[in-house]
Amino acid sequence: MSINGILWILIKTISVVAVFLIHVMFVQLFERKAIAHMQSRMGPMRVGWHGVLQPIADSIKLFFKEDIIPTNADKPIFYIAPIIGVIGAVSSLAVVPLWEGFSIANLNVGILYILALSSVSAYSVILGGWASNSKYSFLGGLRSSAQVISYEISMGLSLVGVMMMAGSTNLSDIVRAQQQGNWFVVPQILGFTVFFISALAETNRVPFDLPEAETELVSGFATEYSGMRWALFFMAEYAGMFVMSALAVICFFGGWSGPDFWIFAKVPPVIWLILKVYGFIFLYFWIRATLPRYRYDQLMRLGWKIFIPVALANIVLTGVIKILWK
Amino acid sequence: MTASELIKKVFFFEILQGLALTFRHMISPSVTRQYPTEKREPVPGSRGLHALVRDTETGKEKCVGCGLCAAMCPSQCIHIYTSEGDDHKKVVDRYEVEVLRCVFCALCVEACPFGALALSEVYEYSGYTREEFYYTKDRLLENWDKNMAGEKGRVYFEKFWRPKAVDFALPGPAKSGERKVV
Repeated sequence: MSINGILWILIKTISVVAVFLIHVMFVQLFERKAIAHMQSRMGPMRVGWHGVLQPIADSIKLFFKEDIIPTNADKPIFYIAPIIGVIGAVSSLAVVPLWEGFSIANLNVGILYILALSSVSAYSVILGGWASNSKYSFLGGLRSSAQVISYEISMGLSLVGVMMMAGSTNLSDIVRAQQQGNWFVVPQILGFTVFFISALAETNRVPFDLPEAETELVSGFATEYSGMRWALFFMAEYAGMFVMSALAVICFFGGWSGPDFWIFAKVPPVIWLILKVYGFIFLYFWIRATLPRYRYDQLMRLGWKIFIPVALANIVLTGVIKILWK
Repeated sequence: MTASELIKKVFFFEILQGLALTFRHMISPSVTRQYPTEKREPVPGSRGLHALVRDTETGKEKCVGCGLCAAMCPSQCIHIYTSEGDDHKKVVDRYEVEVLRCVFCALCVEACPFGALALSEVYEYSGYTREEFYYTKDRLLENWDKNMAGEKGRVYFEKFWRPKAVDFALPGPAKSGERKVV
């Protein structure tokens, strides 16, 4: 590897991570304002114009908060748990292609890499709940672990249809296969539905947020974390949301391709990717403001008895159609 | 389950209806009133901070120190201290209200036979120490002058409270040639 190559990768990494950290701060503000307006109220309005500087105030507050560690907590694991979550989520950004030819690592097993990292970040929830040595956290962690592993299966299976249609697991190849205007969402509508709902469950978002249900388990597995550690868990959740939205856009909605006519052809492709990803993130918030929460047994039933069979049926259907229309 | 229920479930029909509702709420204006910059006008007759009525003829308070307001108050927040002045008349030395205790029931206003006490519409009187919430006679009178004097005070007693003194005049001193029986 030449020095030039390493330097270029370093620059790409630093810029992507820096932009991403800023994104995480402001997407939290976006969520609060969006959900507030859906509930006929305004979100943060005081700090800066219409609350724009609120994330900065929040970061400063979290930074200076007292770091409380429960008495009999398992210290090494307590420290590591949030970090694992953040690593899992932010490392997934390395394979997301922002436009033609720009991704930090052009892995040939991109989809597999992202799925593997989401499995690793499931550890952070389990370890966080366990290491806190408190009832609520423990229950939250256990529930979340069972939920995550159930929905990982259906998520992986729903992406197999995409892999079959594109012929590769390389994310850039998948986007290129959709650039002629044939976005995979139309033939793979079943796969898309299963993927999106499983992504909701993977990132512990409503309606599957029992592990961190504010009204049921205080804050679930994150109850005993304060200040910066909590901010890390929270950052991991929003990072996971971003990665799942990016995956949905890349696999089903054409990635960075946008309309090719008139003035739209002049727009840089990264803008289309960002718009679509933010559209999905808005869909996450929209669903959060609307739906009630699934009870734990209903959630497990959905994952095992409904989504896995549907995802499998999708794979069979896609295979059959591919053979017949050879 | 029936066919229509199945179709609704598979196509997320009711969930989409819910999503449409929240979207409608999002694009319609919010109902929040941003407090310090946008305030709500208090309805006339709202019960707030106490005020002692200033008699426009004599320029002093109308209060004679009967103590009915203090007796009525459920929180016992009115304290009256009187003494005997010249000519056997009652003189009100101190009239104090602990406004933190007040529950704004206005039983004191209702009880006063002379219409000497009123509850102004002032509700923003926060402070930092306990002492500033122990209102003395001067501050109460001042509240009247600032917020309820003139037309507003007259209308307050005409429209909302009718003190007994308006309909039942006090017996005056004996006129010449008369003899007091009872």
